Amino acid sequence: MKPKVAFFDFASCEGCQLAILNCEDILLDILNLVNLVEFREALSEKAPRYDIAFVEGSIHRDEDIERLQNLRSRTTVLVALGACACNGNVQARSNFVAPAVNYEVIYGEEARNRVQVDADHWSLWSHTRVRPLDAVVKVDAYLRGCPVVPAEFLHLVKSVLHGTTPFFPPDAVCVECKKNGNECVLERGETCMGPITWGGCNSICVNNGYVCDGCRGTLPHANIDSHITLMREHNIKDEDIRNRYRLFLGAEPIGRGV
Amino acid sequence: MSYYLTTLQNITNWIRKTASENPVYFPEKFGHASYRFAEVKADSDIQFEHYTPTVLPPVKLLIPAREELLSFKKHADGKTEINPTLDESFRVIAGVRPCDLKAIFLIDLFLKDGVPDAHYLARRENTALVGWACTAPCDSRVFCAAVDSLHHTEGADIFITPLKHGDLLVEVKTELGEKLAAGTDWQTCDDGPARKVGTVADMPEPFGRTFPVTAQDIYKNVAEKWKSPVWDKHVERCFSCGSCNLVCPTCYCFDVSDDMNLDVASGNRTRTWDGCMLPHFAVVGGGHNFRPDPAARQRHRVKRKFEYLTEKFGHGAVCVGCGRCGRQCTAKIDIYDIVADLINEGDQ
Repeated sequence: MKPKVAFFDFASCEGCQLAILNCEDILLDILNLVNLVEFREALSEKAPRYDIAFVEGSIHRDEDIERLQNLRSRTTVLVALGACACNGNVQARSNFVAPAVNYEVIYGEEARNRVQVDADHWSLWSHTRVRPLDAVVKVDAYLRGCPVVPAEFLHLVKSVLHGTTPFFPPDAVCVECKKNGNECVLERGETCMGPITWGGCNSICVNNGYVCDGCRGTLPHANIDSHITLMREHNIKDEDIRNRYRLFLGAEPIGRGV
Repeated sequence: MSYYLTTLQNITNWIRKTASENPVYFPEKFGHASYRFAEVKADSDIQFEHYTPTVLPPVKLLIPAREELLSFKKHADGKTEINPTLDESFRVIAGVRPCDLKAIFLIDLFLKDGVPDAHYLARRENTALVGWACTAPCDSRVFCAAVDSLHHTEGADIFITPLKHGDLLVEVKTELGEKLAAGTDWQTCDDGPARKVGTVADMPEPFGRTFPVTAQDIYKNVAEKWKSPVWDKHVERCFSCGSCNLVCPTCYCFDVSDDMNLDVASGNRTRTWDGCMLPHFAVVGGGHNFRPDPAARQRHRVKRKFEYLTEKFGHGAVCVGCGRCGRQCTAKIDIYDIVADLINEGDQ
């Protein structure tokens, strides 16, 4: 029996599902081995039960919670797909700003007032409650990154098909930077989230001349105190350090605390 | 062993000529202020003296970050076919400093010990090393003289020493070296060993950073210390990112994994770099971690460099003093400071 695989999304750009559809060279081989039963980006069928559910997106509203719990009850394995599902992603920045404040910036004072007094707009307040999936249900595996890394997706699918445990080493992005022989971002006089961030991305941003922004979430052993000291030594203002942490990590305890 | 005298220009031309026939790796500048061993191209800048230690040491050309060890395939009749993957292509690594030569010499010992590492040795046996003597510390972080690697030449096929008046003394040390030097117009030198004493270009004294004890006595100072506040002091800022391991010229640890193809009948076995500072390095079946905290991991790393492998192989410190780990450490932890603290701490 081929495993039943389904894809779902919550608050996200659906870019992670697209990243998987972009694995054209292996996609057809995978489709021969699994039974794809739900994938809004690619098909219209529905199914009552799944063996593996890939869930993209972060959780905001009460109805999201109900839908996710319902999904969880109907799947054997639940995989958090991408940074929104794993750690909340950039939309979690809204956890720190009242919707009325954003409305005023974009649409002016009248809009700000309406958001607060008109009950039809109150659901907007759910945007201050951005959470990753594991704040609501048990997550069996995490495919991190914004977007996900096709090689990690393939590793996970193969592991499930072969009945082995997938292994994503809890190593910092620095490990891959060194394997790639990169010049350290610090050596360039810039600062980097790499030392505290889950690797697995093959340090793609640093390879291409940028710095690590930490999209893959903080490592379980991340030495945050040391990282903040490091940023301060590079004369980064505390406000900017907070912004660096809240860019991708706003929904993580650490992003709230910095 | 034969000796020649020649000029820097001749050596540079010879490297370019060699590179037109075989891959030659030489330090090249890149990024903001870094160097790396890269294949020499027609327009490469070949500068022996002026480079800070490369981000990765030359030995990593022989132990790539990710390497296929073998491929396997199960046939329909039930038989499994296994093919080892060996890289036997010829290459030259030039501009190798004594510290990195010593590191390759040590890695040769480690990987020949026990079950010889066929994959490393296939590359190593097809690699020619052209060494270059240092006449000034290449970086403020080096302590090569303090760990006895400054004058190491063993393992080089050709070793070049700058002399006082600008000439270069070329020692051709192996048959492979003779082959590479064939056809050059270097001037034969009959009193090579004598010239190595006395006419070598001036070197500063002390050379780089030093310890208050001799290279031989470092072992004792590290071996005696199991419980010491020094182990906790330096890890306070550690990210456990493993950078120190991965850039170390004498670190060679790896992890092995079998990657099946989607057909569930074929695949390959690969190894990737691992490092004892990484949190899951000492995790065993069942999930127990022998070194869960960074202080224990750092003690292990320092003792590997100055105690365990020193005892096992008898070639002194396994740290060659290149200073790469301290330079690359994102948290500014330097193995020199750790060892200096252990020495200064005295007897316990």
